Amino acid sequence: MNEFAVRNRIREFRAQRDELTQAALAEACGVTRQTIIALEAEKYSPSLELAFKLARALGRNLEEVFQYAEKK
Amino acid sequence: MTKALRRTQVLLAVAALGAAGMFLGPDGWHGIDIGPVASAVLYAALWLFLVHLAKFSGEVFPEQWSQAEKQAWVATVFLALVSFHVANLLIALPDLGAEADQLRNSATRPLWLNLGMLIFGWIVIGSAVRRQDAGTVQLDERDLRVAHRASRFANAMLALLIVWLVVALVTLPEQSRTWLRPYIAANVLIALLIARTLLENIYTVWRYRRERA
Repeated sequence: MNEFAVRNRIREFRAQRDELTQAALAEACGVTRQTIIALEAEKYSPSLELAFKLARALGRNLEEVFQYAEKK
Repeated sequence: MTKALRRTQVLLAVAALGAAGMFLGPDGWHGIDIGPVASAVLYAALWLFLVHLAKFSGEVFPEQWSQAEKQAWVATVFLALVSFHVANLLIALPDLGAEADQLRNSATRPLWLNLGMLIFGWIVIGSAVRRQDAGTVQLDERDLRVAHRASRFANAMLALLIVWLVVALVTLPEQSRTWLRPYIAANVLIALLIARTLLENIYTVWRYRRERA
């Protein structure tokens, strides 16, 4: 059976926003830079509130940034 | 690996050697009591680490470590040292006979001094580490989630330790009689709480490592 997980495109959208740094994104969302690192590596699934904050900081919709898709 | 990080590892290894030397007891190494030398090595390494931390504040820990992970490491090191001392006390107390029932006895006197120094060192190093990330978010939902998991793990371990203690008391009545004295039993209970906190921090450190792997 296929396993599903929360996937994200944070790194891709960060690069599209003039190489927004992990530190700047972390500050905008009120989290540590290490959490952004863990999110980009898909080692951590954020709370719904943090997911909305990230999407807003990246100027995208929630569904664009996060998907519930098959594990890598 | 940076030079500062390598130096951190060397200092921690020297401190661990010192702690291990202290744990050998009066029979020591090949019959030689190396306790005082080991103690001096341990505290010298810790103070050098503090100086090192003040000098290379941003490089002592890897930059991918969050503040909570750094604090968990510091707590793990100091709690391991505290556990060494308390374990030494628990081993020494039953051999003291009637003296073990006194609050001030020959085994506890050096312990208080060592614990005082360790707690002071922990506060100083902990606040120096905290200052490294001043002005940025130090704790967020991921850290709280790890802390919650660590707490649940530590509570389960504490329950297991208590069950183990009860089973030991019931199945080994002769051997456990030496421990069934108010002052020793009180120290055993404190040791259980210290063990719980140590396990909580070890789990925290492991969890952060696993999330990075």
